[in-house]
Amino acid sequence: MKEIVVLSGKGGTGKTSLTASFALLAGSSAVVADCDVDASDMHLLLAPVVEMEEMFYSGKEAVIDSDACISCNRCLEVCHFDAVETDGTLYEINSVNCEGCSYCERVCPVDAITMKPSLAGDWYVSKIRSGAKMVHAQLGIGAENSGKLVARVKNEAKDVASKDSKALVLVDGSPGIGCPVVSSLSGANYIVIVTEPTISGLHDLKRLRELIVKFRLPSGCIINKADLNSGYKDEIQKYLKKEKMDMLGTLPYDENITSAMVQGKSILEEPYSNSETAGTIREIWKNIQFKLGLDGE
Amino acid sequence: MKIVFTAKGNTWEDAMDPRFGRADYLLVFDEESKELSVVDNREQSQQEHGAGPRTAQKVIDIKPDVVITGNGPGGNASRALEAATLEMYVGAGDMSIKEAYEAFKAGKLAKA
Repeated sequence: MKEIVVLSGKGGTGKTSLTASFALLAGSSAVVADCDVDASDMHLLLAPVVEMEEMFYSGKEAVIDSDACISCNRCLEVCHFDAVETDGTLYEINSVNCEGCSYCERVCPVDAITMKPSLAGDWYVSKIRSGAKMVHAQLGIGAENSGKLVARVKNEAKDVASKDSKALVLVDGSPGIGCPVVSSLSGANYIVIVTEPTISGLHDLKRLRELIVKFRLPSGCIINKADLNSGYKDEIQKYLKKEKMDMLGTLPYDENITSAMVQGKSILEEPYSNSETAGTIREIWKNIQFKLGLDGE
Repeated sequence: MKIVFTAKGNTWEDAMDPRFGRADYLLVFDEESKELSVVDNREQSQQEHGAGPRTAQKVIDIKPDVVITGNGPGGNASRALEAATLEMYVGAGDMSIKEAYEAFKAGKLAKA
């Protein structure tokens, strides 16, 4: 089983739109994992039908037992996050504000405060229209993505893939180079970076590259919206050559991608399936399969 | 020589865990005594952040001469491991523990 992780460094480069297209091209031979949980938008394009749903707990939050509370106000005094609310007698924790630091639990003289696992959101195993399974998650308000959640989504996707004897796990990763991205790189076989020809596109590509080098993973790059700035496009290509990264292809700025998105579709689907951009995406997918040693069907 | 493997299970036949920080187990092989022991590292799956440096600390406590893993470790764990005198070998992510040991002995693993 091979695992491809699609990353972007910079947000808004078209990573998710492209990953959704690759997911449809991979068909039922793949399991898709959406690890971009902060902005999990791939479901908008792939319309997963949920088959299994489970709650996800992450971090802790304080809970006050109002029967035991003596209204001494100590918890409110020490809280740095204004998470303790009171009308003078009844004390409650505002779970959106609570950062789970446990300070209030420590200072409570009557042990009325306990730390409980905090419900962060749900994760799902679903089926998409290519016939493939998709593992994805949705966070609640104030909850954040973490290495833990990414590892969980990836592990579930790998479990599904090995149970159903699938050859490929395709992961939509998070932007940036933080803990969730580190967690998504871990155990991968190939990294696809989607960038755009802008100063921040190049800057974030370089930062991501530094991280990938630490993981000694082979990687390739797609320059999306390449025709919008040929100067930066050339500079990115020069950088890829210098770093010996695979140049997987360039895509033009194409309003059809947006039109397809508005309809909840990928550009590979009707009425755009014969467009030049759709053709280029198919070529790029072949390149990726070749790099991974998978046979292109 | 003491060798640590990042592992999915606790026997020679089990698969390597390609991950460093969130590896399920750390398998320790002492070449002198031929003893294979296991350190359970599954608690890291409950850590939101910072699994890498935590696992690095565990590895340092074992005081191994060599660590064999898949593709990690990442930036923070690497910096922590620099404090220890150990050699890191990578590229064994798709092997079993036994295969990884044989590949290491045959000089087939890349030094990180």
